[in-house]
Amino acid sequence: MATAVAGSAPASPGRGGPRGTNRRLKPLRALQYAALVLVVLTAVVPMYWIIVNSIRPDSEIAAYPPTFFPSEFTLKHFTDLFEIYGFQQYLVNSMLVSTVATVVALVFGIMAAYAMSRFRFRAVRAVGELSLLAYLLPGILVLVPITQILFGNGLGDNRAALAVLYAATLLPFALWILRSYFSGLGIDTEEAAMIDGCTRFGAFLRVVLPQALPGIASTAIFTFNAAWSEYLFASTLMTSNEKLPANPAVFLLMGHMGTESWGLLMAAALTIILPVLVLFFMAQRWLVAGLSEGAVKG
Amino acid sequence: MTAMTVKDASGRSRATRPAGTSGSEPRRKRYLSDRGLAYLLVAPALLLILVFAVYPFGVAVLNSFNDVDINTGARTPSGLDNYVALFTDASVRDAFFRSVNWTVSNMVLQVVLGVAVAMLLNLNLKGQRLARVLVLIPYMVPAIVAALVFRFMFNDVTGVVNYGLQTLGLIDKPLNWLSDPAMMMPTLVLVNVWKYAPFFVIIVLARLQSIPRDLYEAVAIDGGGWWHRFTAVTLPSIVPVVLAGMLLRTIWTAYDFDVPFLLSNGGGPSGSAITVPLAIRALAFEQQQLGQASALAVCTAILLTGAAYFYLRGYRKSERSTD
Repeated sequence: MATAVAGSAPASPGRGGPRGTNRRLKPLRALQYAALVLVVLTAVVPMYWIIVNSIRPDSEIAAYPPTFFPSEFTLKHFTDLFEIYGFQQYLVNSMLVSTVATVVALVFGIMAAYAMSRFRFRAVRAVGELSLLAYLLPGILVLVPITQILFGNGLGDNRAALAVLYAATLLPFALWILRSYFSGLGIDTEEAAMIDGCTRFGAFLRVVLPQALPGIASTAIFTFNAAWSEYLFASTLMTSNEKLPANPAVFLLMGHMGTESWGLLMAAALTIILPVLVLFFMAQRWLVAGLSEGAVKG
Repeated sequence: MTAMTVKDASGRSRATRPAGTSGSEPRRKRYLSDRGLAYLLVAPALLLILVFAVYPFGVAVLNSFNDVDINTGARTPSGLDNYVALFTDASVRDAFFRSVNWTVSNMVLQVVLGVAVAMLLNLNLKGQRLARVLVLIPYMVPAIVAALVFRFMFNDVTGVVNYGLQTLGLIDKPLNWLSDPAMMMPTLVLVNVWKYAPFFVIIVLARLQSIPRDLYEAVAIDGGGWWHRFTAVTLPSIVPVVLAGMLLRTIWTAYDFDVPFLLSNGGGPSGSAITVPLAIRALAFEQQQLGQASALAVCTAILLTGAAYFYLRGYRKSERSTD
C-alpha cells in the first residue's frame, strides 16, 4: 500500500500558472470560484468568530440578531483572563510540557530514525515495527493503566512525567517521518564525507542534518502541536490547579462560565490557538510536504 | 564512552570533536562497531515505547481479568466477570453502535469532501495558493478550541449558525444542535469533518500535483471527456494514498476522545455523545470499574489488529523495495 506512492514527490505548491487549454465554459468557472469561496469561508469563519468576539463587549456578543462586524472594541476579556483567572500559569504549564516533549521526541526520534535508515540489523528493524504498532495504539486504550502506573509510582500530577509521556506517544510519529526524510537523502555524499576524513558523527552533522532540516522542522511543529492540543492525559493526570495545562483549564472554565461570558472563552481560545497558527504560517510549506510524506509512508 | 556516542548522535555537542580530522577513516571502528552504534541509537526510543505503550497494554490485559480497587490498585482475580458485565451492559452496546456510526459517517464524508476540495484546489483558479494554506487551518486547531467556538456558534438560542440558516431560509425554526439527543451525533460528525477533512485534502492534493500532465493529454487525445479523465487517470492515482490515509484516520477517528467529549461538554444530553472512548473513561473514573474499563479497551483493541496487519504488510513491502 505504501509502496505505490513511495516515489511521488509532491510538486511545490502554486507553481505553473493557468496555461494551456483554458477554454472552459464561463458558468462552470464561476461555479468553481463560488465553491472555492465557500470552502475557504467554512475553514476560516470560525477563526474570525473567535477573534471578533474576544475583542468586543459581552453586551454586543449577546445581542440578537448577531452582528458580523464589531462596533465597539475592548480588551476586557483578556485582562479578565489573565488578572482574574490567572490564565498565564496554564499557558506556561502547556508551553513547558509541550516544549520538553517535543525536544525529547525529536532527539530520540532523530537518533532512532538515523539508525533505521542507515543500518539493516534485524533488531533495529524490530524496533521500527514495534514503534509502528505503538503509533497505531490510541491513547484511550492505555489511559487507565498509565494513570495507575504513574500515580502508583508517585508520578501523578507531575509536569515532567506528563512531558515524558507525551514524548513517548509522539515518538513513533516523529520517528517515521524523520526516517522517510533520512532515507530520501542519498547516502553517497555522506560516504564521500566519511572517506574524506569525517567521522560518522561528523558526516551526520555536516551532511545529513542540514539536508534533513526542513523535515526536522515540520516534524517539530507537528509534535509540538500535538502535545499542545492534548486533552485526555492532561486532564486525567494533572490534579492540582497550579500545574494544569491550558486545555483542561479552559474546559473547566467552560463548565464554570457556561454561557455567561462567551467573550472570555473566545479570548482563552485565541491564546491557545495563537502559538499554533504562528508556527503554521511560518512553516506551512514544509508542513504540507512533511504531512503528505509522513501520512503516506509513516 | 558509550554515553558520549549517544550525546553526539543527538547533535548537541558539536564542539567536542575537532572539525574534519584528516585521515581518520579507520578510527571510528575503534570507538564502536556499526552494530553497537545502531543499538545505542534505537535504545532510548525502544525504552520509551516499552514503558509507555507495551507495559501499559500488558497491565490493561491483566486488569481486565481482575477486580481492581481504584484506591489501592490491588487486584483480585475475577475470571471473565468484567467481560460478561460488558456484554450484558446495554449502555456499552449503545456506545459501540454510536462509535460505528461515528466512524463510518466521518470517513465517508471526510474522504468525499477531501477529494472534492483537493480537486477544486488543483484547477489553477486565482487565489489558489492562499486557499491551499487557509483550508488547512481547521486541521491545526486544537480540539478544545474547536469545541469552544462551535459550542458558541451552534448555540440553540443565540448561535450564529441558526441565525444564518434561518436568514437564508434553509430552516424554519432554530435547530437544537447541542441539546437535542437526536442531533448530538450529527453535530459532532459535522465538526469533526470540518476539522479532519483537510488531512485528506493535503495528501490527495500532493498526489494530484505529482500526476504528469502528459497522462491527461494522452487521454484527451483519445477523445475522453471530464469523466473519462477522472476515472482513467485521477482515480487510480489517488486511491492508494486515500486508502493509506483512511487506515490511519479510521483508527484515530474510532478511538477519538477529545472532539466528542469536549464538544458535547462531557457526554451530551442523556449520554447521547457517549462513544466507546467516552464509555471507557466513564467506566474507569465515574463508576470506578477499572477492570471493566480495561476489558472494554482490550475488546476494542482487537479491532485494531486487522488495521495493524495491513499497515505492517505495507511497511514490509516498502522496506523490501528500498533494500
